[in-house]
Amino acid sequence: MTHWTRIWLDEPVCACEVGARKGAVTLTMMTPGARQDKGDRLRSSADGVHGSSRRGWSLIATTAREEWVGIALGMLAGLLYTAGRVAVPLLIQLGLDRGVQEGGPLLPWSLAIVGAGLFSATFLGFRRYLAFRNARIIEARLRDRIFAHVQRLHFSFHDANATGELMSRGNTDLQHFQNFVTLVPLTFGNFLIVVTVTIIMLILQPLLALLALASLPLVNVLGRKFAQELNPAIMRVQQESAELATVVEESVSGVRVVKGFGSEPVQAEKLANEADDVHDAALASSAIRARYLPGMELLPSIGLITVLGYGGHLVLDGEMTVGELVSFNIYVIMLIQPLRMLGMIVANGQRASAAGVRIAEVLETAPAITDPATPTPLPRTGALGRVELRNVDFDYHPGATGAGVLRGLSLTIEPGESVALVGPTGSGKSTIARLLPRFYEADGGSIMIDGVDIQKIQRRELRKAVSIVFEETFLFSSSIRDNIAFADPEADLDAVVGAAALAGADEFIRELPEGYDTEIGERGFSLSGGQRQRIAIARAILADPRVLVLDDATSAVDPTKEHEIRDALGEVMERRTTIVIAHRPATIALADRVVLLVEGCIVASGTHEELLASSSRYREVLAADRDAEDGGAV
Amino acid sequence: MGWSMTHGTTDDARLGVAGTGAVLRRTFGYARAYRRAGVAAVGLLVLWTLTLLGGPLLVRHGIDEGIVKGDSGQLNLAIVMYVVLAFVSYASFRFAILQLAKVGEAFLRDMRTRVFDKLLHQSMAFFDREKAGVLVSRMTSDVDSLQELIQFGLIMFTSAALLLAGTTILLFLLSWKLMLLCLVAMPMVAAASFKFQRDSNEAYLLVRDRIADTLSGLQEGLSGVRVVQAFAREHVESARFSQANHDLYRTHMAAVRIQCWYLPIVEFAGAATTAVALGVGGWMVSEDAMTIGTIVAFILLLSSLFEPVQQLSQLFNMVQSATASLNKLYTLLDEPVLVADRPNAVVADGRSPITIEGVGFSYVGGGPVLSDVDLQIAAGERVAFVGPTGAGKSTLAKLIARFYDPTAGSIRLGDTDLRDISVRALRSEIVVVPQEGYLFSGSVAENIRVARPEASEAEVRDALDRIGVLERFETLPAGLDTEVEERGSRLSAGEKQLVSLARAALADPSVLILDEATSSVDPGTEAIVETAMETLMQGRTVIAIAHRLSTSQRCDRVAVVADGRLAELGTHDDLVAAGGQYASLYAAWVSGLGEHA
Repeated sequence: MTHWTRIWLDEPVCACEVGARKGAVTLTMMTPGARQDKGDRLRSSADGVHGSSRRGWSLIATTAREEWVGIALGMLAGLLYTAGRVAVPLLIQLGLDRGVQEGGPLLPWSLAIVGAGLFSATFLGFRRYLAFRNARIIEARLRDRIFAHVQRLHFSFHDANATGELMSRGNTDLQHFQNFVTLVPLTFGNFLIVVTVTIIMLILQPLLALLALASLPLVNVLGRKFAQELNPAIMRVQQESAELATVVEESVSGVRVVKGFGSEPVQAEKLANEADDVHDAALASSAIRARYLPGMELLPSIGLITVLGYGGHLVLDGEMTVGELVSFNIYVIMLIQPLRMLGMIVANGQRASAAGVRIAEVLETAPAITDPATPTPLPRTGALGRVELRNVDFDYHPGATGAGVLRGLSLTIEPGESVALVGPTGSGKSTIARLLPRFYEADGGSIMIDGVDIQKIQRRELRKAVSIVFEETFLFSSSIRDNIAFADPEADLDAVVGAAALAGADEFIRELPEGYDTEIGERGFSLSGGQRQRIAIARAILADPRVLVLDDATSAVDPTKEHEIRDALGEVMERRTTIVIAHRPATIALADRVVLLVEGCIVASGTHEELLASSSRYREVLAADRDAEDGGAV
Repeated sequence: MGWSMTHGTTDDARLGVAGTGAVLRRTFGYARAYRRAGVAAVGLLVLWTLTLLGGPLLVRHGIDEGIVKGDSGQLNLAIVMYVVLAFVSYASFRFAILQLAKVGEAFLRDMRTRVFDKLLHQSMAFFDREKAGVLVSRMTSDVDSLQELIQFGLIMFTSAALLLAGTTILLFLLSWKLMLLCLVAMPMVAAASFKFQRDSNEAYLLVRDRIADTLSGLQEGLSGVRVVQAFAREHVESARFSQANHDLYRTHMAAVRIQCWYLPIVEFAGAATTAVALGVGGWMVSEDAMTIGTIVAFILLLSSLFEPVQQLSQLFNMVQSATASLNKLYTLLDEPVLVADRPNAVVADGRSPITIEGVGFSYVGGGPVLSDVDLQIAAGERVAFVGPTGAGKSTLAKLIARFYDPTAGSIRLGDTDLRDISVRALRSEIVVVPQEGYLFSGSVAENIRVARPEASEAEVRDALDRIGVLERFETLPAGLDTEVEERGSRLSAGEKQLVSLARAALADPSVLILDEATSSVDPGTEAIVETAMETLMQGRTVIAIAHRLSTSQRCDRVAVVADGRLAELGTHDDLVAAGGQYASLYAAWVSGLGEHA
């Protein structure tokens, strides 16, 4: 029996993982513009773990405990597989000695080998099935938990942690975790093989066993060192490949710039450099393979030579049978793979526990914004949509030196009233918008909707009552219809079309290849910024909130088109409390009242005309905005 | 931006025999450059395989000639030979790995640069047609699947095939009768391997799709978390994700189940043939038709009969998808370059009038985008292209920059048709400035230098200074060496536009094509952008794709492009007075800006 195949088998536990890793490499991340921090940043990075790895082990232990029956069955299957496997060489030995050499009957030994083979083959299947089943169940369950948990975590958590960072915890880290859990029952079986085979050999021929096995522990050592050196080398190859992918991605996305300046040679040279780096990294990892793999092959050969050399002379001297010589030969080969796997499990365990820490960090982050224990329902009758801010203080970086984003701000908006918030960048307009649905918690003061403090309202009810349309629109990869009906997937087409019409989106949607059923997003039709914004507005309108907040929600709409949706917006604003954050005077003029914000305080309030007449500050802000809009040429 | 991994991987169309043959022939063609190293690698692999077969033969020799005959000299000879064999095996394996890596990685590196060069020199029409994700995946997942093969698949695949062949021959030589009996198990294993290879490939592709689904679900859930929370849909999204996640689990398990019935069959076949070898072989020994050493060698060699089969069936998919990837790469390499230099391409002087004569354009397989456009632009003149989105104004501008070639008519710079000017020379005379400044990773200075890589630091500073924004960038944390990071998240939209303008200033072309940004930036920066743009336009021929009234007003002439035709042409004042399309556009603009202007 040659042992070459064993050398390679354990490289990828499952070929499928390779695809997943590759995905992570080409992932490009969506990150929020400003990374605001309220102490929500996860502390461990992909390179290092914050704190003790005990948290990782305890996560492994608790999740594994949920599947203990499966794990126990997997180990049992491993035990039975080992028994069948270890029996075959013994049966060959007995067949050779008693049957062939002594001329006894052969058939019983042959049948016994067939039986043992059937036995070990059966449990080989079960062992593998159970090992993967347990691991995949645990993986799926943890991924569900991570997703559901992260969905509930507050905005400032997401501001502080990049999507890519969380992705890697929900993917790469889980893979490490899953690999390790798969390996546990497999390792248990391997360990059993090592122990039983060693014992059998020691019983048969103690001295030969010691000599033959002497070099084998080195396989374990080499296996471990190999894994330790190879993993970083493979990581480097992936890292370099990712850098190369970045050059490709940038050149393709930025092809207009590349072509515009004729800078193809520059990009080609960048790529050539990256390709050289990948080449060097790949050769380095091959060099590691070349250094270890032949050595790991050579060591068992030394054992085999010892068996033939010393064992052969023992047979010549009549102290050993030919059958024993053969079974020793087979046993030595049988030990190689288990010994290597035992070397791997250590490295795997370390990686899994580090991954566990990173996963636990996410799961242990408590949502900062939670439902009240005894929620107060919002009133359902009367004039609805009254918004009141009383003495509200807020800062994204509490404790940092600075005046705070909002300072003792008070503002009351009557039901059905529309208010435009105007002010220079950083004056706190968007912050007010984000405090109303409790995306962030005010540091001081209180906010009431229809007389109820928002902290006393169930989040679901609150967010149904207050809809906000962000400047940066996020649309899901599904049909336009599904996107608009996001708040209420049951909504019929008429409702969707109605909302789209109010947002000034109906017309262009109808011109799309499949109208409302057009798929958008990453793998679908790409829309312009203004079109995306209009769909986002339609989505909010369909939710039918009592308070609608438009946070610069028409900024990307072509100025020549904006008047089309302005009429529609006027209609929307008629019917509910609306807060508009805008720069264009015509949009601002739609509001019943304008509130001028400067550095987190209200400095003026009144109708557009009144403020124009009375507030020089207002005229300045507006003039700056208008310059932005048309270059100051009109 | 998101996942590109599903592109170009789900379309793993299997190649027919003829297709595979063509791909292999071509690969050997490319690999000719490394022929000597390649031959050496194969030679080493063959040598290594032979050493693997030698061990059992030496055991046989030791038993038959040494032990059975009581000749310790023969036994010792076998031992010495074994030691030699082990070291030959060590050395040949080691050098085979190194040699194969050397050849394979060099091939890959050349393939990467070759494919990328090809990609870069495609016309804009190509980039409009192909999805960016697919193009990127050619250079990533397709090349990576080759990388994977070269890193560990190829050596395994080749040696498994060699070992299978070698073992079969050797076993027949040892005892063809016994071998025929043992081969009875072969059809079972072969059939199982064949089925396994097919099923597992399908299962694997399915798993890959589900992984992509799950990951994009995860990413969407994270990127869209604010929207999800805004509409209080956390529970629904979690349930939806859970469904995708569960689908992934099920496909994972389907793939595992396929391995779980296949691997035992191979394991059992090994045991069953061992039993045959022992039983029948033992009987043959008793009939003096065989030696005991031969049985032993037989038993020891049997495993290298079945394991390679199993290996090959597992590796076959890897080889197959690598072949499919190669095929896709070759298809890309075969893509004709539409905008290429003609032989004897000339240089041209940008300070010449631009003549557009009877120009029409349509995309391959599409209707006409432009037809019958005639327009003469004097050197140093400023012309604004205005018109509804999709009416052709951008296309016309891109034709002037020769991002595409017109499908009818001609465009001339001076007296020279654009198609007769070398692409490089043209790019130094005519520069397109997309205003939504796209940033590459790297420093601010590196981003500006995109326009002229050989420019010195002083020239970069001078370019910034000329458009009046040097100070603004010098005050960044590390000055011009500040890394822009993650697609420029550190720079504001306005600053990105300024970088874009600085590039144009550095390139210093005679003709400037300005593609105006549609989105607004913060008011403070906007004024600076306006000033920078005005400075940049001084003394050049300017074609502005205008979205703003102010821009078109500032130009000498306005060309209204509607429905693929040049609808109106004249000065701003003339066109407003004429009361045509431009006049109504103007009216809409004015009302859009409010009556308080």
